[in-house]
Amino acid sequence: MTNIDNLMGNTQLTKQKIKAMKQVININFQGRVVPIEVTAFELLKNYTESLNKHFAAEVGKEEIINDIESRIGELFQERLKNGATCITDDDVNAVIKSMGRPEEFEDDDNSQPAGQQTTSETHTQQNFYNNNANANTHKRLYRDESNKVLGGVCSGIANYFNIDALIVRILFVVSGVGFLAYVLLWAFVPGNSAAVIGGPRKKLYRDGDDKIVAGVCSGIGNYFGMSAWIPRILFLLPFLSFVFRWGHWGMMDFPNFLRVGFSPGALIIYIILWLVIPEAFTTTEKLEMKGERVDMNTIKNSVMEEIKGVQQRAQKFGKEATTVVGDTSKVIASEAGNVARRSSRSLGDIIVFLLKIFAYFIVGVVGFALVVAMFTLAVFSITVFPLKDFLVADGWQNVYAWGTLLFFIGIPVIGIITWIIRKLVKAKAHSRMIRLSFGSLWVIGWVCFIMLLSSVSRDFKATNTINEQEISLSNPKVNKLELTSVSSLKKYYRYNWFRLEPFEGMEEDTAYLKNVEVVIVKSSNDSFRVTMVKMVNGRTRHAADTLARLMEYNVEQKDSLLLLDKGIPITRTDKFRNQRIVLTVYVPVGKQIRVNRNVGWGQNIHFNGPWNSNDWNFNIEVDDAEHGWDEDEDYIMKADGLYTLDGYPADGNKERKQRINNGKIQVRDGNTKVTMDRNGITVDENAYRYDNNSSAPTRVDSLKQKQEQEKQRLKDSLQKASDKINKQLDKLNENNDPLPLAAYNLPVFNPILNMN
Amino acid sequence: MNIDNTASQMRKGVLEFCILSVIKQGEAYPSDIIDKMKAANLNILEGTLYPLLTRLKNAELLTYRWVESNSGPPRKYFSLTVKGADFYKELEATWFELANAVKALTEAEQQHFNNNNFNNPQ
Repeated sequence: MTNIDNLMGNTQLTKQKIKAMKQVININFQGRVVPIEVTAFELLKNYTESLNKHFAAEVGKEEIINDIESRIGELFQERLKNGATCITDDDVNAVIKSMGRPEEFEDDDNSQPAGQQTTSETHTQQNFYNNNANANTHKRLYRDESNKVLGGVCSGIANYFNIDALIVRILFVVSGVGFLAYVLLWAFVPGNSAAVIGGPRKKLYRDGDDKIVAGVCSGIGNYFGMSAWIPRILFLLPFLSFVFRWGHWGMMDFPNFLRVGFSPGALIIYIILWLVIPEAFTTTEKLEMKGERVDMNTIKNSVMEEIKGVQQRAQKFGKEATTVVGDTSKVIASEAGNVARRSSRSLGDIIVFLLKIFAYFIVGVVGFALVVAMFTLAVFSITVFPLKDFLVADGWQNVYAWGTLLFFIGIPVIGIITWIIRKLVKAKAHSRMIRLSFGSLWVIGWVCFIMLLSSVSRDFKATNTINEQEISLSNPKVNKLELTSVSSLKKYYRYNWFRLEPFEGMEEDTAYLKNVEVVIVKSSNDSFRVTMVKMVNGRTRHAADTLARLMEYNVEQKDSLLLLDKGIPITRTDKFRNQRIVLTVYVPVGKQIRVNRNVGWGQNIHFNGPWNSNDWNFNIEVDDAEHGWDEDEDYIMKADGLYTLDGYPADGNKERKQRINNGKIQVRDGNTKVTMDRNGITVDENAYRYDNNSSAPTRVDSLKQKQEQEKQRLKDSLQKASDKINKQLDKLNENNDPLPLAAYNLPVFNPILNMN
Repeated sequence: MNIDNTASQMRKGVLEFCILSVIKQGEAYPSDIIDKMKAANLNILEGTLYPLLTRLKNAELLTYRWVESNSGPPRKYFSLTVKGADFYKELEATWFELANAVKALTEAEQQHFNNNNFNNPQ
């Protein structure tokens, strides 16, 4: 009972405070914005609550209460229309009188005859309703907001079991699961202030009025006092990042840091919340959901006047305009409410506040990335678009290409930008027309995109007939052949942010494609031989063959140089159809070959997809082709394959024991790696642990090892010699005596002579 | 025996019949129903009416449709279903039986109590 007295004391206190201020608040009552005095609101709330209790067992409870509330709203509206600035206590009392109090209702389902209840009507109104609430014989678990440390969970449990709150608190702190359980209880147990006093505490409900799926997000938004779009976007994150994986388009990656997602279980979380959170049906529940609807009466009165005026003027604009104004006022109201609440901050408020900041941060990042991604996509497509003539045939394909650019790419860019701007200026008109037209244009874009893809991919369906043609060499007996392109070595854009790469260079009508591959094979005789194969796709084999004939690629020998064109020319009439050149160079034993990097790209550029992946790959398999050679390096053909000039096989699969690069010599022997450079010689004994016992040394290998040891010894002695020379030089420098030139030479050669 | 209690019990029995008879005359909005009943000197609270309407609707005797109003959200307009019309006929028959019986029984004692008043109970 002491608890009850406490609560009633609280109520009185609150009411006194309120009366002194005579506040007017704005409530959203059954779809109407109603300015109402706080005291009147209390009366109204108590009344709807008493209705709730009265009809608790009734089947159509929600409907009945909704009907009654709707009627009350109508009566309020009439009063406001007749010139009242806000709803007062008297108005509410009059309405209640006309509606009747629950105990006056004549309904046969009520087992208690009305007459018996009237005996208790000697109490004041307020006391009567509180008594009514407390007379409820079955206990309910409430969080005790008047005696709270964090959220009042412990004191609420203590009240329920009639024990000291401290005991419960200690149990919560000591037990391991305490925190999680606490948070859950905090979230799901209603606070007593909401249930009895009708105070500012919020409850989590699903918002059926503003729902897309089930109102979970809008309910959460209401609870935290932020736009429903924020939880919505948080839920959509995983899907968004999925959509933005452009990997298969080869365009760009969605920035990695956005893949944080909220685990792929967002959908499951949503469904669980859907099941757990009740939907707000009655106005009481809706008010609880949105919490206190804010004070600052002066501001609001003027805002209300404004709204009324605007509403009248905007009558012909219909519902749209009114919702904008209503929403704006709501936003202002809730913002003001947040400010007001912040002045009395408990730990819970701080947690909510931090969560809010976190949510805004995530949403900000997502929004920013979306804009950047869209902007990039737009820039990309605009830059690449001029190249379309090299790919896309005239006629329908061209139309599809334009449609794709304008609608498939352009519309989302414009849509997202306008959406963000509208969000920023808080315009939230439900402009169905705009959404509809955007949607249908985007659908057109999709159609264009798919038509374009299917039409273009049909142009890649067939391959040409493979025809190996001999290149006539002016002097096939040269000692060395160097393959080089007439174009200078250019910096490629391949690894740039977005690729502008497909062509080596562009002239007005021609783009050059460097899809050139070189295959090196051992020649069977003593002369070089070069063959060329042209490969191209087309709609039919015939078309592909025609294109292959039109492909011009000149190869010309000039002494030891084999000059290649700078690329395969692609013109606006002979479109890009995966043109590709394979040059096979037959190198005689004992002669050298070098392929410069500017000949071709390491990776060919081609238009590929699931529809023609098999057609693209000719799978060049030259049986005795040499593997593992590098560009820009000289090789010599030996009887068993290609070797570097230092005598080590080009094929990376054969173990290389020595490597010379960057002014550094590395020699590998088993686990030992010896490096020689200008810093001296370093020996690393545990350099290569793997692959030690993979193969027994062949005879060639052991021979090489011996050579290796010889070399090593020579190097060591050379090093010693150079040390000695240095010492002598130092001595000479110390002497400072001018010596004839020969004197310098003498000590230089002597140590070498002394070496053995 | 409490006089208020008995009187309200008597009223309760006929309320549904009265509501149905108002709706039978044409589609009606709840406050229209209240007004008509008031005009007939039968005072009823709206808080009583709404639950009754919902119950009748749930029993499929009534149906409603939303009608746009020029002020605020749309209103519910109630009308009788076929089942409701049948139900009304039966109630009507019962009512006249009852009224005649009561009339016959009470006429001897209360000479001044005439038929017309009987259809408009206080």
